[in-house]
Amino acid sequence: MRIIKGLALGAILGTLGASATLAEEFPEKPIRFVTPYPPGGSHSLHAGIITTVAEAYFGQPMISVIRAGGGGVVAAAELAQGDADGYSVLFGDPTINSLRPQVEDLPYDIDAFVPVARINYSPAVFVAAADAPFDDLDGMIAYAKENPDKLIYSSDNKNGFTYVAFEMLKLKTGTQMKGIEFGGGGPAIAQVLGGNTMAYAGAPSVVGDHIEAGTLKAICATDLERWEKLPDVPTCQEAGVDIVWHFWRGVLARAGTPEDRVQMMSDAFGKLVEDEGFLRLINTINSRVGYLDAEAFGELLAREQKDLKELYDAIGG
Amino acid sequence: MLDLIAQGLALVMTPLSIGAAVLGLAAGIVVGALPGLTATMAVAVLSPFTFFLDATIGIPFLLGIYKGAIYGGSIPAIVINTPGTAAAAATALDGHELARKGQGRRALEMSLYASVIADMLATMVLIFVAAPLATVALKFSSPEFTMLFLFSLTMVSAVSGDSLTKGLISTALGIGLAIIGLEPMTGQMRYTFGMPDLMGGISLIPLLIGMFALSEILLQAERGAPAIDAVGQQRNERGASWLDVKGSMRTILRSSGVGVVLGALPGLGAEISCWISYGLARRGSKKPEEFGKGSIEGVAAAEAGNNAVCPAALIPMLVFGIPGDTITAVLLGAFMAQGLLPGPLLFTKSGDIVYGLFVLLILTNILLLIFGYFAIRHLRKITLVPSGILYPLVTVMCFAGAYAVNSSIFDLVIMVCGGFAGYLMRKTDVPIPPLVIAVLLAPGLESALRQSLVFSDNSLSIFVSRPISGAIVLLLVTVLSWMAFQTLRKRARARTAEE
Repeated sequence: MRIIKGLALGAILGTLGASATLAEEFPEKPIRFVTPYPPGGSHSLHAGIITTVAEAYFGQPMISVIRAGGGGVVAAAELAQGDADGYSVLFGDPTINSLRPQVEDLPYDIDAFVPVARINYSPAVFVAAADAPFDDLDGMIAYAKENPDKLIYSSDNKNGFTYVAFEMLKLKTGTQMKGIEFGGGGPAIAQVLGGNTMAYAGAPSVVGDHIEAGTLKAICATDLERWEKLPDVPTCQEAGVDIVWHFWRGVLARAGTPEDRVQMMSDAFGKLVEDEGFLRLINTINSRVGYLDAEAFGELLAREQKDLKELYDAIGG
Repeated sequence: MLDLIAQGLALVMTPLSIGAAVLGLAAGIVVGALPGLTATMAVAVLSPFTFFLDATIGIPFLLGIYKGAIYGGSIPAIVINTPGTAAAAATALDGHELARKGQGRRALEMSLYASVIADMLATMVLIFVAAPLATVALKFSSPEFTMLFLFSLTMVSAVSGDSLTKGLISTALGIGLAIIGLEPMTGQMRYTFGMPDLMGGISLIPLLIGMFALSEILLQAERGAPAIDAVGQQRNERGASWLDVKGSMRTILRSSGVGVVLGALPGLGAEISCWISYGLARRGSKKPEEFGKGSIEGVAAAEAGNNAVCPAALIPMLVFGIPGDTITAVLLGAFMAQGLLPGPLLFTKSGDIVYGLFVLLILTNILLLIFGYFAIRHLRKITLVPSGILYPLVTVMCFAGAYAVNSSIFDLVIMVCGGFAGYLMRKTDVPIPPLVIAVLLAPGLESALRQSLVFSDNSLSIFVSRPISGAIVLLLVTVLSWMAFQTLRKRARARTAEE
């Protein structure tokens, strides 16, 4: 009798335990937050801040892992082959999650990841060298039309953020300009500052001070509305060319991760981005919050992937 | 400017700031001295901890680590011939030879003095001419970088061993390894055989640890006895004398100049500067035949060359917000997290913090001198540790360090293969540094060359028609002809002696 009672109790407890496992016990060990780029860039800086404040919202520590290589592809490929348990998440961006798996032969597919949450985004701001022979978008287009392939601009990497911004501009305006890939945003902006190239497109946090200091001329920003810290810079739509291109930073998990876990993390990131310490740090690094939950982020991704596919079909890249 | 310096002084001359700097220096020297742990890694790992600290504590701490680690790299290079970083490889050439002759303390002290003097000079350049120098540095574009890369590769091939042919073989092997991975301009895969691990290329740090440290350990294991009979020597070993420093002053000045110019160029760093400095010092020395066989001047050249880069690398970072190398990239992140936003408006927006930073740079340098002087006395004793304990410990550090870079098992494979390859190279007298430096520089050389050709519509004339690029070509040709002349003269002399 005692044994049966014991078993019954055990069964009840066991059931309770099982239901708790499903709903609450994730995460029961630390989550790896994988940054696919080298330390020091804006990605690893954001990752450092996110993982510092995450424990309070996840109930487990979040470990920042830097796994650089192949322009982000190494980390993405590795995660795509890992376990779909939610214990490793990718700190992704549009190039490694929307563009490159579509247009390059990579060891992972475009649908290898499911969206968890977007943390924020920034547009690209087209800028010209201080001594460039044009001051605004109309002037730039006119110059490029009169001098095909003579407008040399600084690009980052093939299929990189700046690369795509200029491909959009060239396609929408029917111009020919010559891009040189300098292998990253740092060297690319150095070349336009030195007057070795004529134009560049980069994040507001990078080009903002140069615009204010007059060392670069602002052309337009690839957003739907003006950037709050650069109120004098028109959007590209206002300046006459319909380009919207966002560099988002977002968290993705391997496809096949249980939905409740994705939802749990999506909600946790939603609370994390309102954390006081998080906001203070994100402000100090001149960034901001643009949170989207898993569903809204998913819609954005689908739209972006379709747009980029059309762009590359049109340019034959 | 004076009042800004006063404000800067007031900001950082507090016990807490100085304490943080000392702590950082100590941690940095340890990290730098351990093979496999790099300055970049130390700053990257520790910078999140400074997010919640006050800037006057966090920044001195990080600067301390930075400087300590760069200096610390020279200690194992001299003492046990296992450079902790690529930048310390040139120091090992002469430093370890000196240690084997029982002059380890002299080499260590020379390395410290040369580092501190070069660092001080470069800091002065940073304080007084940062903005104009940065503007000049921006005029360097792809053609100039192509020639600088070529110049560095030539130097390292020519000066790191006895035979130019073997140096060139080593360089060629390194370039071959560097081709593996994503191609820099169009992102095509090269020699990756579909393996994701190879897409990022052969990781430099695991390869470096294997080639420099593991191969030395293998060699020691084979010998069975320590290379240096340390116990007998340590008693009355003399340090670097005033004459040593005075005799090398010209070299230190020249190396500091090289280091400042290269450091101010975004993308080039200490690894290049130490070799160009070393090569130029050998060319300018009264006793070039001593180089590679225990020249105190060689130690001074290499160390002044790599340390002058540190303050100079802050120039593009502070003035334009463009990091000069990987470690300044990490520092840039840490500075931003402290609310210090490097860029064109930094000096106007937060002048007091900038000058506080300058004061800190000088302060950490003085502290390094004091700290290093006392540390050397004890660090030399590393060689007293029985090889049976020391080398297994270093081996563990090698594995840990190689894994820590990218958290990748494949990197351990690279490290071990590098170790055995390095062992074979040491056995056949093929110098290792050209291979490692070529792996480091070849991607940059390829990108710069191809960028230049896009600029010029595939015309090679761009390399001589631009003034700065043309000047570097001229310098390269001069140095090469001087070397050829030396070799011919040596041969002629040998022939006369035979007859």
